Amino acid sequence: MFIRLVADSFTRRPRRKLLTTAALALGMAVATAALSVSLDVGDRLSREFRSLGANLVVTPQADSLPLEIGGVDYRPVNSGAYLPEADLGKLKTIFWRNNIVAFAPILEVRGEALPFARVDGNYQFANWITKVPLIGTWAYNAIPLPDGGEFQTGIAKTNPWWQIEGRWFSDDAKECVVGVAFAQKNHIKIGDSISLATGYVTKIPAPLEVTGILTSGGPEDRSIVVPLSRAQSLAGQRRQYRKLYVSALTKPEDDFGRRDPKTMKPDELERWSCSPYVSSIAYSIQQVLPGSDVRVIRRVAEGEGAILTKVRALLWLVTLAALLAAALAVGASSAASVIERRTEIGLMKALGASSGTVGLLLAAEQLLLAFVGGGIGYSLGIFLARVVGEKILGAAPEPSFLVLLVILCLAAGVTLLGSAIPLRRASRYEPAPILRGE
Amino acid sequence: MPAPLNNNRAMFLRILWRLLFAHRGRLFVILLALGAGASITAALLNLQVDAKRRLTTEFRALGANVIIAPHASGESTATPRFLDDSVLKKVLEGQNSGAIAGAEFLYGVVDVGKRPNLANERSAKSAKAILVGYLHSGARPEQVVPAALLDVERKLFRPTLQPCEVGQKVAAALRLQSGDGVALASGSREVSCHPFVLSPIGGQEDSQVFMELPPAQALLDQPGRISLIQLSVPGTPPEIQSYIFDLRGKFPEADVRPIRQFTEGEAKIYNRISGVLTATVLVVLVLTSLCVMAAMTNVAMERRNDVGLMKAIGGASRRVLRLFLMEAALLGLAGGLLGAAAGIGLSIWLGKAVFGLAARPRLIVYPVAVALTILVSIAGAFPLRRLVSIRPASVFRGEA
Repeated sequence: MFIRLVADSFTRRPRRKLLTTAALALGMAVATAALSVSLDVGDRLSREFRSLGANLVVTPQADSLPLEIGGVDYRPVNSGAYLPEADLGKLKTIFWRNNIVAFAPILEVRGEALPFARVDGNYQFANWITKVPLIGTWAYNAIPLPDGGEFQTGIAKTNPWWQIEGRWFSDDAKECVVGVAFAQKNHIKIGDSISLATGYVTKIPAPLEVTGILTSGGPEDRSIVVPLSRAQSLAGQRRQYRKLYVSALTKPEDDFGRRDPKTMKPDELERWSCSPYVSSIAYSIQQVLPGSDVRVIRRVAEGEGAILTKVRALLWLVTLAALLAAALAVGASSAASVIERRTEIGLMKALGASSGTVGLLLAAEQLLLAFVGGGIGYSLGIFLARVVGEKILGAAPEPSFLVLLVILCLAAGVTLLGSAIPLRRASRYEPAPILRGE
Repeated sequence: MPAPLNNNRAMFLRILWRLLFAHRGRLFVILLALGAGASITAALLNLQVDAKRRLTTEFRALGANVIIAPHASGESTATPRFLDDSVLKKVLEGQNSGAIAGAEFLYGVVDVGKRPNLANERSAKSAKAILVGYLHSGARPEQVVPAALLDVERKLFRPTLQPCEVGQKVAAALRLQSGDGVALASGSREVSCHPFVLSPIGGQEDSQVFMELPPAQALLDQPGRISLIQLSVPGTPPEIQSYIFDLRGKFPEADVRPIRQFTEGEAKIYNRISGVLTATVLVVLVLTSLCVMAAMTNVAMERRNDVGLMKAIGGASRRVLRLFLMEAALLGLAGGLLGAAAGIGLSIWLGKAVFGLAARPRLIVYPVAVALTILVSIAGAFPLRRLVSIRPASVFRGEA
């Protein structure tokens, strides 16, 4: 009988039920879309922030003090320490290997450059240019990993704001890229060649072809960027580098993340090293690169943390406001549908139903509506979140089971709460005046 | 015939009054739904405009985004070149709001030596390092000078000796201990100073020594000269670009350029964030208004019996419809006025919670939110029109 009454209420006036379901579904779609976007956006944005470049820098521990003004190092070439290139594959073996987006080793050396242009098949030599800053690095290098496989990385990934006119050099070819200011001053074009040498020049070395002009907005604009192996042979430092930029996905640091790991208790240390704070990633890099000094580039890491925290909070508050509005509108809608049925409630009570039975009947109806409406709303909301995610972040948020659970609970709670208040008032009335229409 | 018309109007208003206030529970429920819609509309519209503007200021947490340097043309890159130290003052005077922070720097190579216990004899431990003389603007210096430097500055108790801030790597190279003094030498000039070791910064700053600009100028023998100016310019990416063009016109002797690492990244991230915000707000607004509309239709359909009754006792279809649409409009107005006010309050609170600064209420948002609510409310009542065309008897039989 109970089931028949519930079923009857749905089949007798399907249009009214449809309207309530629509209100519910739309409200829950708002909630789902807002929830999915704000759950997902943190990770996506922290990937976007990698366009600011590296947030960690590795230097040799025993290095002498760099004397760098405006990108020119005033140190003699042979002073200072170096790190072995062979260790770099180990970076992708640390606990946070998947958080390491890119890295690029740097070896700077000052040398002599002899540019020449090819005109009608003849070489036109210019004069030797002295003390040119040469930056050796990887453009796109595939490095083999200790567990097999390869990892594509290089300066084009760590410093995405470096703009190349033409193309990057290939790391194993006799090619180079010239800074825009250096190129303008010395009238170098793409396709020209440059011979590079250090120390006392006895014969002109084999030239490198200029494949691109680099605009970085920094001191690199006045230098020549060459493949790392080329810089190593010019500096006489085989398979060595001096500076390593690492770009890693991190979690914004809170007070706990800023603590010194040396002062932590073992359980705290475990929690600390299991959160991708930039400092705990730095700590694990230091452990695989012996003799290195890993530092957090505070400017990038802290700026990123501050902005991410703000944006996340903003989206959460928008989500909260959306949830609240959806709950109120849906609650009001179900309250209205109960108010309207006062006559029916009066009739049932006149026929001998107790307040409890009537309440149970209506609650069952509302719950059924909530689950149907909530389910429809969830799929609609997921679809909308997918559209928003794909259009703006380039990747759709994963549909999450947690969100479905939250939405169904919210729908059930709101409809029950919305109908509870008018139901209580109705149960207090005597059936007779209600039936008379008073 | 003025009298019946008056009568009609009085009757119209009376019925309207009864419709609105006969059932207070129902009135409350409708106002709740409409008010919730109006408040979310007002809050999101207000926040959306404000948040985007605020975000551009938040990006200044990344620090300086514009630098002014001497032109590098002509001579070899190895000789340092200088700017006049009045340039920064001129730049900062040119703006009206104090929104731009700036700092000027002078770089030079010095010999850094340790003086144990501030005694006069020079210790053997010494190294070459970069000396940075700096001077920053009063407003928001944390955007152009490393925070660690400002921490030291704040703690400074007027010492008798010239203070200098020593980067961590320099301190490690000198094996500096507390109580030690530091001597800086350049050519034949020498200055003793009281060192403060900086906490790690992660950039070149860790291997530099900092000092106020005037003594550094004296030590390096570069009076009135600086090497570099860093500015932190707030605004959207196009605004920053046009500001850079302005500066280029004003200081043709200097090379004004954006720090591409930050301007490029910032533009990309800003576009993404404001896109997410706009899209979320749009989706939420559209769905909320649809949801409120469905709720309103639900409520309006309850008037089925009233429509049937009015038609049965001779009400003209258009007048009956007008009555109910009027009711819906009044409800929309009331719900909108209350809800939008609450929403603007909400957005002020949200702004405070996120950005630490109250969002400035935009007056245009209020009428827009109210109008939208009235529109949604009338649209929600519109399905009643279908009832007007049917026969009253079928309504009473419960067939409609």
